[in-house]
Amino acid sequence: MKKLLTGEQVVKSFGTGEEKRNVLDDVSVSIHEGEFVAVMGPSGSGKSTLLFALSGTDNVDGGRVAFDGKDLSMLGESELAELRRTQMGFVFQQPTMLKNLNILDNIVLPSMRGSRRPAGAITARARALMDRVGIAELAERDIAQVSGGQLQRAGICRALMNNPKMIFGDEPTGALNSRAAEEIMDLLSEIHAEGTTVMLVTHDAKVAARAERTLFMRDGNIVSELRLPKFDGQGLDGRIGQVTLKMREIGV
Amino acid sequence: MYYRMIRNDLSRSKLITMTTLIFVAAAAMLVSLAAMLTVNLTGAIDTLMVKAKTPHFMQMHTGELDMKRLSAFAEQNDEVDDYQVLEFLNMDGAKVTLGGQSLVDQVQDIGFSVQSKAFDYLLDLNGHAIQAEEGELYVPLTYMKDNTTRIGDTAVIGERTLTVAGFLRDSQMNSTLASSKRFLVSAKDYAELQSQGSVEYLIEFRLKNLSALGAFEAAYAAAGLEANGPAITYPLFRMINAISDGMMIGVILLVSLFVVAIALMCIRFTLLAKIEDDYREIGVMKAIGLRVQDIKRIYVAKYAVIAAAGSLLGFVLSLGFQGLLLENIRLYMGESDQASLGAVFGIIGILLVFLAIMAYVNGVLRRFRRISPAEAIRFGTAQQKVSGTGSLRLSRSGWLNTNVFLGIKDVLSRKKLYATMLAVLVISAFIMIVPQNLHATISSKDFIQYMGIGDADLRIDLRQTGHISEQAAEITDVLEADSAILNYVMLTTKSFPVKLENGSEERLKIELGDHSRFPIKYAEGVAPGADHEIALSVINAQELGVHVGDFLTVELQRKPVRLTVSGIYSDITNGGKTAKAVFADSSAEQMWCIFYAELADPAQIISKAGEYADRFPETKVSDMDEYIAQTFGSTRSSIEKASYAAMAVALIIIVLVTLLFMNMLVFKDRYEISVMKAFGFTNGDIQLQYLSRSVFILVAGVVLGTLLANTAGEKLAGAVISSFGASAFQFTPDPLFSYVLIPLLMAGLVLIATIIGTSGAGAIKISEHIKE
Repeated sequence: MKKLLTGEQVVKSFGTGEEKRNVLDDVSVSIHEGEFVAVMGPSGSGKSTLLFALSGTDNVDGGRVAFDGKDLSMLGESELAELRRTQMGFVFQQPTMLKNLNILDNIVLPSMRGSRRPAGAITARARALMDRVGIAELAERDIAQVSGGQLQRAGICRALMNNPKMIFGDEPTGALNSRAAEEIMDLLSEIHAEGTTVMLVTHDAKVAARAERTLFMRDGNIVSELRLPKFDGQGLDGRIGQVTLKMREIGV
Repeated sequence: MYYRMIRNDLSRSKLITMTTLIFVAAAAMLVSLAAMLTVNLTGAIDTLMVKAKTPHFMQMHTGELDMKRLSAFAEQNDEVDDYQVLEFLNMDGAKVTLGGQSLVDQVQDIGFSVQSKAFDYLLDLNGHAIQAEEGELYVPLTYMKDNTTRIGDTAVIGERTLTVAGFLRDSQMNSTLASSKRFLVSAKDYAELQSQGSVEYLIEFRLKNLSALGAFEAAYAAAGLEANGPAITYPLFRMINAISDGMMIGVILLVSLFVVAIALMCIRFTLLAKIEDDYREIGVMKAIGLRVQDIKRIYVAKYAVIAAAGSLLGFVLSLGFQGLLLENIRLYMGESDQASLGAVFGIIGILLVFLAIMAYVNGVLRRFRRISPAEAIRFGTAQQKVSGTGSLRLSRSGWLNTNVFLGIKDVLSRKKLYATMLAVLVISAFIMIVPQNLHATISSKDFIQYMGIGDADLRIDLRQTGHISEQAAEITDVLEADSAILNYVMLTTKSFPVKLENGSEERLKIELGDHSRFPIKYAEGVAPGADHEIALSVINAQELGVHVGDFLTVELQRKPVRLTVSGIYSDITNGGKTAKAVFADSSAEQMWCIFYAELADPAQIISKAGEYADRFPETKVSDMDEYIAQTFGSTRSSIEKASYAAMAVALIIIVLVTLLFMNMLVFKDRYEISVMKAFGFTNGDIQLQYLSRSVFILVAGVVLGTLLANTAGEKLAGAVISSFGASAFQFTPDPLFSYVLIPLLMAGLVLIATIIGTSGAGAIKISEHIKE
């Protein structure tokens, strides 16, 4: 498989002078096309920072990040924005919706910006995605009128609008109850099964258990990783057990 | 602790602190200046009128004077403290040359007098009554102000040569709005000059008690004493003296209120941005049990420092600037006896500004009560409620650019937030357009029609001559025969007794002739068209207590005739007390005659004016532009200056408020900006959204401001104009300036300020705001 995303000796620090602290300390990682990678670790270990650094939403202080062969440090602000818009999809812990747009408009938002597709085709794709994730009837609702789980489904629709090569998720189930979380993970698994590369940051072993590879972080470094066979919808409990065991082993 | 927090905070936001400080200082300076100027103006007028012993009642009169009858009246009337009759030797401007410059083009009546013995003194610039020596001429201040002459210049009056020995303050006729100007000469020179001009009398009274003035005026009229000319009272002298500088103070006061409002708005924007920035910390402080009062104190302390520093700076600046603005008051009126009170009132003014700011900051900080600690700690930003998503849909936006759509949509979703910015733009458009339109209006020829004078090219005044009717007939013949004259009219003014409802009698000056030739604009009703109709000036109608349709009993050929009031018009001539009718009368004596003429070729106006002036030396021929310039020149230039000052102030305000507002908005919207950036919106996209918001508000602001300027603004300008005798008023704007240039200037500055104000959006990091 071709490498889609690589981070080489990535360094990211916060603070200045004596208070300067490396949140990512010489991290190297590669993610292949079609792979499902989870990142786990205690709070402050640098998981989310790694996700933001690898997705080009935050700049790095050292090392190199490349996506699909392009060195992100060589891209300008608008090229990076275009890359995020056309090649990447994001799902965050909070729904990150614009309050003054309804659900449908929030979903079409990234596609309406600079897309050559006609508005009708964009809306049709949004409606098809909403239908697929089971929120078709919520299109005209305001975001305050739907549940957290429904909003997160809408977030996934938005992430998929431009057929991204890769989906980045930062605790996408972190603010949901267990049932809603399971439904979201089923959806992400489905998307992955269709060939989309996925990278998720999570605290939850149940989420990581769906990944083929889980990276464990501590103090700004990847300290271990667990490889599992591709998830086919069977044997989730066993996979969860393996992830939990690994966590205990390395003490994260 | 407060000191350290304030210092850190101020040093972190130097630009915003400086901006707020500048506005507070400007507001304090203007309020302080308005207070100081008001105290000085009223004080200076009082001092001048006390030193000059201005008459309480003055009747101008041309013609025979029965001194015995006048003395008998004065001695019998208990209210009279003192009285005198001064001579005012009317001289044609053509006969007067000051420093080689002829006064031939002067519209104002030029008169020579000797110093009064009892009261109504003509004062030097130190406030002392001048005693002119033989060969000396003292010139009204207005000729010093417009650089007509200087001390030491040679003055030629008729065949007599005098030397300009100084300038004089005249408590009656200082203002350019007063239609006559008095020159002072020695008694000997006066006697020599007497044959050169015609004498007009100033019959003057000082009363024991000014409150009896109304009764005295009625008694004077009832006694049928000399009244062939305008009568002017003490309050009117006071008003005429105050009007020019009073208007300036009024404008400063209005602008100061506006700047105070802007200063409060700046504080609001910066404070709200600061609260947004500190949202989580405020939540934490509340959560750990700090009282709202304690948290507020941290913020109040900072603004107390800014408000105190700004107010003090404003006061110091006002002390510096007051000299400049007091220049005119000092020149025309002299020093006020209460000058020291000016500083006291200035301090009261800045204290008011300081207190208003502190009260306002307290008001804005009341929102701390509503901050939920849990929500603040969790989200770090105010969870702003939007007023629904409305019917505008991005998915159905069609051709509209997504960023433009998002900009407009945001304004419509958060109308309350943008209302402040809109208000600033509306007010700014208003304060730029109204003075500009007012200036364009009073500069236009149409304006004279509001002032009670028809729209003509030439005006020929025939006064102070013993044979008015013969001369009038001669002028009529010449005008009739002159092919260059397209149209003309002769209006003759005569004085008639009017019987009032209470049985008393007053004399009314009625201008007779065809009033349809050079029509004026009527505040109410129409021009008199039939013999039984009369039109009255606003002041006359008010004094006589009549309205359009009412009757007025006028004595014509010793018989009472009931005339219907057909219309009421504004007038600034002859003390604003005139009337117009068309009936023919051969009984009353002609007081004066005015010809208005329209030329076939307006390019000939100046040459024709010269030709008629040469041909009829006893008349005063003016081209109307010059007449307007001399009558309203200083008012017009004051309004012009004020209009440019208002424009500069408004434009500065637009830039600063837009900068601060956009800065605050970026703070408020940092979460949404992060979201959009995460989903592939560039900094350029974000900026375009903000520019769309600005343009949307700008268009609304300009449209509303223009509408407001042409409705409420027109009424406001009408009120200003009415203060000098006009009531009907309509703008005659310069459309290119008011409706193209001003909106373009506003648009340019708003866009530049938006770009600068939102430049911070580019620095917003997605990862810092989108997490959690």
